[in-house]
Amino acid sequence: MIEISNVTKRYYTLTALNSVSFQVPQGEVLGLLGPNGAGKTTLFKLIAGILTPTAGKIRPSGDIWPKIGYKPERLLFPNHLRVNEYLQQVAHLSNIPASQSKRVVQESLERVNLQNAANKKIKECSKGMRQRLAMAQILIGDPPLLLLDEPSNGLDPTGQAEIHECIQALHETGKTIIMSTHHLQEVTEVCTHLVILNHGQVHYDNNMEKAMAAQSHIRIRVNRPLEEFGHSLAALHDGVEVAGDVVYLKGEAMEMRRQVLVMLLESDFDVLRVEHKRISLSEIYAEAVQ
Amino acid sequence: MTQRILTLSRYFLRSLLFSLAGLIYILIGFAYWLVMFPPDQHTPEASYYILVLAAFGAGLTFLATLTIASRANQAGHAAWIVRLPSRVEYLTAVLLSSILFATTLQLLLALLALFRGPDLSFSQVLFIPPIWLALNTLTAVLALHATDFVAAGWSRVYLFGLIALFLFGQSLNDKNSLNTWIILRINDLSRSLAGAGWIVVVTPLNNLARWLQQDGPGALGNFFSLPFWPFHAIANAVIGGSFDTSQALAPAVLLLYATLLIMLAADIFANKDLDLTE
Repeated sequence: MIEISNVTKRYYTLTALNSVSFQVPQGEVLGLLGPNGAGKTTLFKLIAGILTPTAGKIRPSGDIWPKIGYKPERLLFPNHLRVNEYLQQVAHLSNIPASQSKRVVQESLERVNLQNAANKKIKECSKGMRQRLAMAQILIGDPPLLLLDEPSNGLDPTGQAEIHECIQALHETGKTIIMSTHHLQEVTEVCTHLVILNHGQVHYDNNMEKAMAAQSHIRIRVNRPLEEFGHSLAALHDGVEVAGDVVYLKGEAMEMRRQVLVMLLESDFDVLRVEHKRISLSEIYAEAVQ
Repeated sequence: MTQRILTLSRYFLRSLLFSLAGLIYILIGFAYWLVMFPPDQHTPEASYYILVLAAFGAGLTFLATLTIASRANQAGHAAWIVRLPSRVEYLTAVLLSSILFATTLQLLLALLALFRGPDLSFSQVLFIPPIWLALNTLTAVLALHATDFVAAGWSRVYLFGLIALFLFGQSLNDKNSLNTWIILRINDLSRSLAGAGWIVVVTPLNNLARWLQQDGPGALGNFFSLPFWPFHAIANAVIGGSFDTSQALAPAVLLLYATLLIMLAADIFANKDLDLTE
């Protein structure tokens, strides 16, 4: 759906993104994580076409441009307009015929539970309502690619849950979504793919399921250092690692736990402890940004 | 495309009309009318009417374009810009709304100025639209180049520097004190270089000084004043009461300038980093 290859963005002497590459397959919900200043918003602006890359390419497959729904990080709107006027404007810009624009606007308002504020001036809207309005505008025109820069920022837990439901519903309709967030729980709930940016570089890029699986491991502690025997264990599989008196079984090597235990016991090692450790997303994140 | 441009133009027009800036421009318009076309006096000349209102239209277009462009450059419109197949549609909407606003106000003033104003012949009425529209379009594009909305890097310095150079250059002539000053400096430089043995450079410098003393300034002045010919031609034709065949081309030449500048603005705007204000 969209391929980002070796994208670099420099602002004079500051390098905001440095040779960033990853792919977003069609229908995926990609969660973009990273500390403040990691380059997430710059990447969003590049994909949206607001900025141009200093080097590298952003290639959408198929004719997705200009059908991008973009929710910027800062919730800035023409404050003098009413909510429905703003959305009507988006509808007109999305080539929706005037006869259908009212219905489309009404539907988008209902999807984000904002139908009661349709006639409200934007300047009178709360931050939560503005966040919903930002979500409502991306739904208009049914764009296949959605860029959501911190979509639930500033919402209460109910509002966050509604936005998550909305994102999941959009995912089910086959939309490709790239979202940035600081809420790791949000990534676990709605994302299918994870990219962690730090200092303008990709530090982690994996499918969520694989990410969680790859980061879980079995830890076997024995009564004495494994020494030479450790080499023969490590030779069993790439996922077998030995450190002192501990054997780690990672990824597919976890399936070999029985075989490893038998080998240890047959070689007169006492097994003191066996742990199946799952690394949380926060640990993955902490490791990636360190 | 047309629907999108018209939608955006309507939006920009409306946001200017219902703003303090819009109100100020309307008040400026009425003040201009009161000063330039006092209702208690009869306006004697049709040429005065055409040229004074042309100047008003151009000035107002410049200001309106600056205002609309600065509004268009706000980050609140980012979600709209990414929806457009081409950024140039956005630029066109800004240009169109500015010209529409200024020209409408100009026409309103033109109607008011007809009160105890000049008796315009049919031919004079006919040559008003090309003059006013060409000037308004050109000033709108120039204003766009002056804004952060379109300018990128040193683009406006190059463009307005070039215009300043031509404005400055057209004042060169053989009686000009600046010209004399330049010749004296060249002669000084030439003597210094001759003393240092740089004979190869001295000869061309002497030739340049001699050329500047003789027919050089005239040629330079003609060269630099060439781009301003359409303005002189229009003013002369309006004052003279009719356009000859070459003068009739002047509004078209202005539109050609505007077209070239629009193409340049579109190219810059389509490829620049949008630095939207928050």
